[in-house]
Amino acid sequence: MSIETQADQPESPTNRPDSTHRMKEWFSRPYVRRILIIFIALNIIIIPIAWLVIHFLELSGGPASSIMEEIETTIFVFTLVSAPLMAATAAVLIYSLFGWGLIKSEEPPMQESPAIRTNAVAVVGWITATSLLAAFLVIWGLVELATITADSYGSTPSSQQPNATKPIDINVTGQQWVWTFEYPDQQRIQSDILVVPINTPLYFNVTSKDVIHSFWVVEMGVKIDANPGAVTNTGFTANKLGTFNIRCAELCGMHHAYMETKVQVVTQAQFDSWIREQGGKRTA
Amino acid sequence: MNSVHLLPEITIVSGGIHCRVVMRSTKWRGGVKRLLFTIAIVLVGAGIVAGSVWFLMGQQAEPATLRAKVSGTAVTPQGNLPHATLDLSIYPNSTANNPGPTGGMYDFVDKLGWPFYSPSTSLQLPAHSLVTVTVRQYDSSTTVWNPYFAKVHGTVDGTVKYNGVAKTQIDPADVAHTFTIHQYPQSTQPYFFVSVPMLAVGNNAKSLANGYPKPEVMEFSFITGAPGNYVWNCEDPCGNGYVDFGGVMSERGMMSGKVKVV
Amino acid sequence: MSQTAVIHEQKAVPQPKQHGKPGGFLYRANIFTGLIGGIGAAVITYAIGDKLVPWGTQNADFSQVGLNALVFCTFAAWVIGFMVGIGAFAGPIRWALGHDLTHVDAEYMAGKGQGRMKYWKYTTDHKVVGIQYLIMALVLFGFGGFFAMLIRTELGATWREVFDPNFYNSLIGTHGIVMIIAMIIVVAGPLGNFIMPLMIGARDMAFPRLNALSFWLLFAAVPPLVLNLVMGGIRDGWTAYQPLGTQAPIGMIGYQVCIITFAFSTGIAGVNLITTIVTMRARGMTWARTPIFIIGTLAAAIMGLIWFPMFQYAQVLAASDKVLGTSFFIPQQGGSVWLYENLFWLLGHPEVYVIVVPATAGILELMVVFLRKPLFSYKLAVAGFAGVVGISAVVWVHHMYMTGFAPAAGYPFMLSTELISIPFGFLVLVMLGTMWRGKAWNRLPMMAVYAVIIDKIIGGITGVYLSDVPVDQYMHGSMFVVAHFHYMLMGAGLFAAMGVIAYWFPKMTGRMFDERIGKIGFWTAFLAFQVTFLSMFVAGLQGMPRRVLQFDNAFEISNWISTIGAYCIGIGMLIFLYALITSWRGGKIAPANPWGANTLEWQTETPVPLANFPVLPVVTSDPYNYGVPDPYLKVQEQLDQDDNETVGAR
Repeated sequence: MSIETQADQPESPTNRPDSTHRMKEWFSRPYVRRILIIFIALNIIIIPIAWLVIHFLELSGGPASSIMEEIETTIFVFTLVSAPLMAATAAVLIYSLFGWGLIKSEEPPMQESPAIRTNAVAVVGWITATSLLAAFLVIWGLVELATITADSYGSTPSSQQPNATKPIDINVTGQQWVWTFEYPDQQRIQSDILVVPINTPLYFNVTSKDVIHSFWVVEMGVKIDANPGAVTNTGFTANKLGTFNIRCAELCGMHHAYMETKVQVVTQAQFDSWIREQGGKRTA
Repeated sequence: MNSVHLLPEITIVSGGIHCRVVMRSTKWRGGVKRLLFTIAIVLVGAGIVAGSVWFLMGQQAEPATLRAKVSGTAVTPQGNLPHATLDLSIYPNSTANNPGPTGGMYDFVDKLGWPFYSPSTSLQLPAHSLVTVTVRQYDSSTTVWNPYFAKVHGTVDGTVKYNGVAKTQIDPADVAHTFTIHQYPQSTQPYFFVSVPMLAVGNNAKSLANGYPKPEVMEFSFITGAPGNYVWNCEDPCGNGYVDFGGVMSERGMMSGKVKVV
Repeated sequence: MSQTAVIHEQKAVPQPKQHGKPGGFLYRANIFTGLIGGIGAAVITYAIGDKLVPWGTQNADFSQVGLNALVFCTFAAWVIGFMVGIGAFAGPIRWALGHDLTHVDAEYMAGKGQGRMKYWKYTTDHKVVGIQYLIMALVLFGFGGFFAMLIRTELGATWREVFDPNFYNSLIGTHGIVMIIAMIIVVAGPLGNFIMPLMIGARDMAFPRLNALSFWLLFAAVPPLVLNLVMGGIRDGWTAYQPLGTQAPIGMIGYQVCIITFAFSTGIAGVNLITTIVTMRARGMTWARTPIFIIGTLAAAIMGLIWFPMFQYAQVLAASDKVLGTSFFIPQQGGSVWLYENLFWLLGHPEVYVIVVPATAGILELMVVFLRKPLFSYKLAVAGFAGVVGISAVVWVHHMYMTGFAPAAGYPFMLSTELISIPFGFLVLVMLGTMWRGKAWNRLPMMAVYAVIIDKIIGGITGVYLSDVPVDQYMHGSMFVVAHFHYMLMGAGLFAAMGVIAYWFPKMTGRMFDERIGKIGFWTAFLAFQVTFLSMFVAGLQGMPRRVLQFDNAFEISNWISTIGAYCIGIGMLIFLYALITSWRGGKIAPANPWGANTLEWQTETPVPLANFPVLPVVTSDPYNYGVPDPYLKVQEQLDQDDNETVGAR
């Protein structure tokens, strides 16, 4: 009285594993197939979503430093690697809305659901998958943090950086509610707009005269708090010409929203002439 | 009874309580009345929000706009532009004759000892013009923390006339206030930054009949660009609280305000 | 199938002498005497202090220390005066005088024979305290939601400043802290108090008088907070970063007094919850048979008890800076701004789990009932909660990646933050496993489950972005973070709480929740929520900072969409609230166990009698005995059999 099963095959070697017929049976269940279809569809949908996320990031001028490019790559990759787990969760959720039946009744319904208390394969599989994902995210993140730290400080630049040149030091002072910049090596010029040459490492000493501000060079993907009584550091190398935004990212009082200024990335020649202009004015 | 549903095995001891689920059908009882009540509640909620917004907007207590007077044209490095003038005064405190901004939150705040810009901190300037501002400054000094603000920035020739003498900066210890216009976060309007330090009266200046000493007079000009909205504030710590940026420094209408270029 | 109970004979315990005639203070005290006591004490303190403290007192940096001290003492007097007035100290004072409370007094304090009035008094019955917490949570959500509407109006009117910038800053700060307090109490308060003792088969909580104390301390803490808006405001976010807070006017002191008091309330509640759960479970309720909601509440209470003192301490030091002129957080005088940030976030992170864990545990509990299936892998759920509690202690610096206090700290804290996603993931698996192959009973509480999982997915992936230090370098302080935490706390927290409250509504109020209107409100709020905060993610990605009232044109469209969405959330929540109130007042009378659930609280009558159970139950199994045997098991067994036969036949 053997039932026809998928495992019913002509004689095969005796070292055939035992469990494939269980797995095959599971995959043959109608709900499993449908959930798989939804799962695959969701994974595919994630790709344009990831693209859309990057698109929104780039709307204000796009990545203007290697750090921002790293950040964009990371976001894209993280979205893609998290996709399977998210899609699995969403697929089960979506299928359960219509697939196993919804009961509308005033009284508690009949007992029809299978009393599954646990499933070793699901538990082990899930823990493994989430741990692998977490491990990937951690390792990627640690390596990437080290990379952008090197890119920020210009001392041991990564492969994406131009050859090490001495970085331009810039002192950034945040005060309620204006950013001011000083170029200690360029005749101590002071300015309210940050003007920097392209493809040159920049090193910022950031501080505040009063409360905590946050120096956020938006399109370069660089941010560091400006703390009173301390000097914090960051840096980047701009790789795109243009005018970008610097915003304050920590609530600092009444005009926090208005604590904005610009960063102009210019050619080396333009930078030199700007310095001359500012230096000239300074000597009054 | 229609309880074909199998209640799970109750393996919990109870004192003989037996549950029978008795249900009536849920018709949409009094449907229209409920719908009306629901809509009413939503409208009441919206009304409370709208009413509060309207009330709170009136609490802003920013003084009436002061418009720069346009008179003739002037020759500037950017060609002939309309010439507008603006007169401001900075008083060290309020007196009965000179009460400073009133209304709104100023009815609750003790602002007697606070310095303020007069007659208004809401300024309106014409676009693409040369604006000449004359400031009479009656207050004594507080040292400016950031020497950047003891320098002149953004004026048409980089100088300010202090009592008739043109200078590009003053001693940080002699700064009483600054007039610093800076950017609203709008990339569609031109970047606009003007910062002028205001010279302080001496610490031993004698008070005249009106209760204030003889003022220092600053005159400076800058060129406005395309229309836009900006804010300005004083960058010299003349308030109280932490680093003297609290109190009056953190209120609109006295040491900070709006600039509208139209 | 019921077993007979063994009733042990009660020995008579000698009672103290009855002191205090009926009409004594204990019998007269209620919220009105409390208000008289509180307001009276505040007024007297202010009047006396005003004479004693020279207002002109300024120290070297003009910080008006005198005024700050006066306001602080006034608020403190309000809190103490209120507690005295409401009779909080009657018990201890009577004990100190040797006139201990008798059984009759204790029953009176538990609200026996007082009808509706017991909700207005210092009542110790956990059911009364639970209802009081529910009302308080609704009131706080009302305030917070109202502020949210104002905030979104400002952000939607992009062409002008609607409010004064200082008022706007105070508004966002007050909205934040009011909502945080409301979310902390919304599940642990009503359900942790009302339902939890019933669920473990106890007659009350371990410390009934502390229970009342924790609620009335919360009540006393709220007015100083809300009054800040008319006292100049806090002008700081809900995080109340120093030294910006020292620049704020006296409204900041209201915030500090509120948090100091609220931390006491939470600590006391935490002690109460933990002791009750650990020691007062019914006979036979071993840890393996404890419902998962109890485990979740225990986990949240442990985290709250350990970490709330950090927040309280940060506010004590900040108040000291303002009132006593110390310089803990003033760098110019030797302090450190990073000290505040660390103290704050040491609570700030576990706090979000204090919010999300009870809500998730409640969802797990109700899923079982509405799917008629056992909880998938109870052990994994417990491991998930335990992992979250443990790891939540060592992730706080991820809120401070950008502060620059220790750049090297980014590495280990990125590791720990990624690690905490694993135990949290266990809970998601438990949810999915419980839903797997379950025929769902489509009632409002079950719908909340779907909403919560969707929001957890989006909140979770955006959390993954933020946990990465380089990505956080772009996202920190932008609207992306705001949208993320709204997804976690409101999406996965508040919607879960709404479902959980709808689930236990019949037991708590004796009436069935009007699902027709409730569903309309719930789904309106849910769909509007997606619109509002997905649009906010876009604004954050584009580079919009947070806590700003005016912003670049580029962010206008996303803000308009978010504002419309927020108004619709408001409409949905109002509808839900309307359903709640009408059901409470005139809904269908609920039977004792309308959901056919197995847990103990459903096995007693509705309305629940004062002593909860006529006879304390004895538990013989866990409450998840639902479902029918899996039909596929037979198929698999047959396959194994065939396989063996085939192999054997060779």
